[in-house]
Amino acid sequence: MVNAAGTPDLTSRVGSVVLKNPVMSASGTFGYGLEFTPFYDISRLGAVIVKGLSLLPTPGNAPQRIVETPAGMLNAIGLQNIGVERFVRDVVPRLADAGATYVANIYGRTIEEYEEVARRLSGVASLAAIELNASCPNVKEGGIAFGSNPEGLSGLTRRVREATGKPLWVKLSPNVSDIGSVARAAEDAGADAVTLINTIVGMAVDCRTRRPGLSNVTGGLSGPAIKPVALRMVWEACKAVRIPVIGIGGIQSAEDALEFLLVGAAAVQVGTANFRNPNACVEIIDGIRAFLVRERLAHLDDYRGTLRI
Amino acid sequence: MPFRRPRFVNGRILHNGGNGIFYRMEVSIPDRIEFLPGQFAMVSGWPGNDPLLPRPLAIFRAGGARGKGTVEFVYKVVGRGTALLSGLHGGDPLQITLPLGNGFDLGREDRIWWLVGGGVGFSTVFPAAVVLEEQRAAFEVFLGARSRDQLPPREWVPGGGTPGRAHLCTDDGTAGFFGRVTDAVRERMDRLKATERARLSILACGPREMLREIAELAVPLEVPVQASLENHMACGFGVCWGCVTAVRDGEKTAYRRVCKEGPVFDAREVVW
Ligand SMILES: Cc1cc2nc3c(=O)[nH]c(=O)nc-3n(C[C@H](O)[C@H](O)[C@H](O)COP(=O)(O)OP(=O)(O)OC[C@H]3O[C@@H](n4cnc5c(N)ncnc54)[C@H](O)[C@@H]3O)c2cc1C
Ligand SMILES: Cc1cc2nc3c(=O)[nH]c(=O)nc-3n(C[C@H](O)[C@H](O)[C@H](O)COP(=O)(O)O)c2cc1C
Ligand code: FES
Repeated sequence: MVNAAGTPDLTSRVGSVVLKNPVMSASGTFGYGLEFTPFYDISRLGAVIVKGLSLLPTPGNAPQRIVETPAGMLNAIGLQNIGVERFVRDVVPRLADAGATYVANIYGRTIEEYEEVARRLSGVASLAAIELNASCPNVKEGGIAFGSNPEGLSGLTRRVREATGKPLWVKLSPNVSDIGSVARAAEDAGADAVTLINTIVGMAVDCRTRRPGLSNVTGGLSGPAIKPVALRMVWEACKAVRIPVIGIGGIQSAEDALEFLLVGAAAVQVGTANFRNPNACVEIIDGIRAFLVRERLAHLDDYRGTLRI
Repeated sequence: MPFRRPRFVNGRILHNGGNGIFYRMEVSIPDRIEFLPGQFAMVSGWPGNDPLLPRPLAIFRAGGARGKGTVEFVYKVVGRGTALLSGLHGGDPLQITLPLGNGFDLGREDRIWWLVGGGVGFSTVFPAAVVLEEQRAAFEVFLGARSRDQLPPREWVPGGGTPGRAHLCTDDGTAGFFGRVTDAVRERMDRLKATERARLSILACGPREMLREIAELAVPLEVPVQASLENHMACGFGVCWGCVTAVRDGEKTAYRRVCKEGPVFDAREVVW
């Protein structure tokens, strides 16, 4: 049964954060959100997650930074960004003006830097949440040092938790042997939600030139190629924790997004798909709505986590 | 209304054909676009996820009437994406994001323009000739290719390939000037009067090595060079930071997005 208005209710909750639908843009694939305003009204999204922010502007890695692989791509951007100060001064007012629900993805080279970025963002009234990137594989201190084991992640999460009153989402690395214990460590340390997966460490070389495809040699794999791995990890995380799990990895269509919701994700993020189709996120929202109509479901909540095993 | 801000459109191929080296594709799109020479589009027309990313192609021409637009691309088959494009037929769908990037700045009065294209780089600089012709500005074209069969068809060359106006160069001497396009530019530069040189501006697109050489020979003579870079891209509209080039930023170097701050750069800024 659909509700009185005839349109299914896509409202999704990530802890205290209420999203109008479960579809968010993934950090690093959506700029600062404003780049998408020529394509559509970004307030239509569940949330915009902006490019990873650091305390100071960061130049990023030398090119070559991207290389295509079968049904995927490797990137080693090196977290190039304008820094938290400029973000707050130049970008925040425009995101607020656009009516967007937005989340800041942050990272630091040290725990103190993470804390400081989080503190700086705490006073930004229109900011919905902070997503802690504890999992960038492409800079030595991009969080992976903290995020690849439960102890490191727990310490980092606890300290940032104390530094900010904003809802705190912790973004997990898939480059671990037991995702459940890492997710639990984040939960125990005070995370309001976990987000996964970040990119999977990979590598490409050219057998003729004998050179690596990326100047950083290794990079993070994203796109449809990683979807089965992501889906499995999201399912495991959902079983391991009580806090909401946000699913990411290779989502290109409404069906892909629904698969993550089916295994229990509270919401999803769409990354690499934005490159080929800048309208991907809104097409996915429309597709989820159409699916619920076809399935005669009034609320997305009636579908979420209903995997039959 | 013709559009100038980027849009993602579903186009339909009107025709697509070539001589095995260069292909030219005309596509109908829902609306007319306004573009600047040097601007580009991100194009994908194949089903499935492999290749995953769209490919950047310069906007070669655009037209159409009210409520109906067309856009043309010229491309060379160099790998899987362009090979797939070359296999598409009239009636096939094509996904396009356009117009993207900053085009050439042709606003300067009373200039002499040289359009320099290496390989398929001509597809980026030729559209500038159309605007320059309308402005009745003086221009010459320099084209470099490995051999005669790698040169574009004569009828594509602005000014009809008139000798003196179009300088065709081949590395193997099978047509036109025997040598690289940069050598032809250097020779022509040596013959230029100082008063002419003071009015000269160069627009260039081609392999990075060629662009670097053009910069090295023109910049010391204070001839402005607008160089269009062809870096690998994922998104094409500034959201992934994958396509950067190093530029001078005061004493330091900084990385700028070729798709957003470029693809046209002042050659003096680029760290070649
Ligand atoms: C702004 C811009 C405008 C362009 N305009 C045109 C155009 O009008 N016509 C045209 O034919 N080409 C143009 N190119 C280049 C074109 O995008 C590439 O040739 C194309 O992406 C190659 O895809 P592929 O799948 O066929 O090759 P791939 O299989 O991806 O690669 C094959 C070979 O080509 C090289 N290559 C791949 N991408 C690029 C690239 N972006 N630049 C240089 N070399 C590359 C690879 O290193 C490899 O050696 C443009 C590029 C840019 C950035
Ligand atoms: C070019 C690029 C840049 C990224 N930058 C970030 C980043 O700054 N912070 C972050 O947490 N994740 C970053 N990611 C990871 C994505 O947010 C996402 O977790 C991953 O790409 C998997 O999703 P996808 O397959 O839908 O792209 C980046 C991914 C890509 C492709
Ligand atoms: S290609 Fe994505 S920023 Fe340029």
